[in-house]
Amino acid sequence: MPNCTQLDPLVTPYVDGELAPADRQAVDQHLRVCPSCQARVAAEHAVRDLIRAREAVLNSLRAPAGLRARCATFDTLTTSRPGVASPPAIRWRARLTPLALAATLVLIVGGAFLYQVTDRSASVLAAELTADHLKCFGVINGILGTHDEPVAVESSMASRFGWRMRLPEQPDRAGLQLVGARPCLYGEGRVAHIMYRHHGRPVSVFMLPKTTRPEEIVEVMGHEAAIWSAGDRTFVLIAREPPAEVARMVSFVQAGLR
Amino acid sequence: MPVQRSTSAEAAGIATFEAEALAYLDSLYRTALRLTRVPADAEDLVQETYLKAFRAAGRFEPGTNLRAWLFTILHNSARNRARDRARDAVTIDSETVERAADALEGFTFGARPAETPETLLLRETLAPDLQAAIDALPDAFRQAVWLRDVEEFSYAEIADMLSIPVGTVMSRISRGRRLLFDQLTVGDGVVLKAESR
Repeated sequence: MPNCTQLDPLVTPYVDGELAPADRQAVDQHLRVCPSCQARVAAEHAVRDLIRAREAVLNSLRAPAGLRARCATFDTLTTSRPGVASPPAIRWRARLTPLALAATLVLIVGGAFLYQVTDRSASVLAAELTADHLKCFGVINGILGTHDEPVAVESSMASRFGWRMRLPEQPDRAGLQLVGARPCLYGEGRVAHIMYRHHGRPVSVFMLPKTTRPEEIVEVMGHEAAIWSAGDRTFVLIAREPPAEVARMVSFVQAGLR
Repeated sequence: MPVQRSTSAEAAGIATFEAEALAYLDSLYRTALRLTRVPADAEDLVQETYLKAFRAAGRFEPGTNLRAWLFTILHNSARNRARDRARDAVTIDSETVERAADALEGFTFGARPAETPETLLLRETLAPDLQAAIDALPDAFRQAVWLRDVEEFSYAEIADMLSIPVGTVMSRISRGRRLLFDQLTVGDGVVLKAESR
C-alpha cells in the first residue's frame, strides 16, 4: 500500500478522474486508512465542484466591444501586408549638414492630429519633437532596459492610436534595434513615440495623423529631424547622426513601415 | 510571418480560421484578466494574441485544437511581457512562490475548523467571493486552477501553454485548490495575506 508521500502526486488526477484503474484502486485503498489524505481529497474535490458550480457566473464577463472590433480588423491588416508597394523614396532637400559623431536617431510617430504642432513651421515642429525625444529617452533610459517585441508596439499603436501599422521587419539590417513605444507627454499624449537604438544610440519615431507636410530635413539642437508624409500621416524621424545615416534610416523606415 | 493568401480557397479557409479564432475572444479576455488583473493590460494582451495568431495562421494545423493554440499564444505573450518589463504583477514562473507555499503548508492546510463540513460551506460560497479568492492566489496557482477548472483544459494542454512539466501542472492545481479551500473556509484571508508579504 502506498504511503502519503507516494500518494501525493496521485491526489489531483484522482480528484479529476484522470487515473488509470490500478492507480485509482491504490488511492482508494490508502484513503480508507488515512484521514489526512481523505481530508486533502475532500478539500480538492470541494473546490473543484464549487468552481464548476459557479462556472457560469465566472464566465459571464464579456470582452469589451472595442476590443472585439479592433481584433476583428487585424485580419485585413495581415491580408494587405504582403506585396504592398513601397512608397516612393523621398528626394531630400539639400539642407543636410554634417553633424557630431554622437548619433541619436529619433523616429517619432504620433498618432493624433496636433493642430498646434502641425500648423507651425518645420523648424518649430522639429525643435519640439527633438525636445520630446531627449526627454523621453532621458526618462526611458533611467527606467527601462527594455526591448519590446514588435507585436507589442504594433498592438499598442492599434489600441492607443487606432493606427494599425506594421514596424519595418529585420531592423538590424539597418543597424536599428527596437526599444519600445510610449505615449508621449508631448501633445497631451496624442503623439505616439516609437524608440529605437541605432548602433546603441537612441532613436525615436513620431507620427502625426491626418496631416501632410513637405518633405525636408531640419537641423535642430544638434539633431537631424527628417519630416515626410505618407497618405494622410506625417512622420518625423529625429537623429543625432550624419545626414547620410539619417537618410538611410529614413529610407529603411519608409520602405518597411506599414 | 505574413500569411500566404494565393487562392480564393485559401482565402476562404483563412476567413473561417479568423472567425473561429474570434469566437474565443471572451474566454481569452477573461483569462487575460486573471493573468494581468488590469483590464487595459488584459486588452493589450488579447490584441497581441490575435495579431500573432493571424500572422501565424499558416502555421496552425487544421484539425488541432485552435482554442488551446490561442491560449498558448496568450500565455507566451504574457510571459514575454513579464520578462521584458520585469514586472512582478505577472509572475508566471514562480518557484519562489511554490517554495513559500511549501513552507506555509504545515499550518495552512488543516488550520480550518475541523467541524466544518467542507462541501456544505463551499456550496454556500458566492461567485464574487470565489472570484476574489481566485484573484488573490499567487500567479502560478491561479493560472493552473483557472485553466483546469474554469477553462477545462487537459493537464497536457496546460503544460504546453505554461511550458512546464505535467507533474508541475498537477502540483500547482493541487496547491491552488487547497489554498482556495483554506481561504474560503478560514474566511479571514490569513493564508493569502501571509503569501503576498
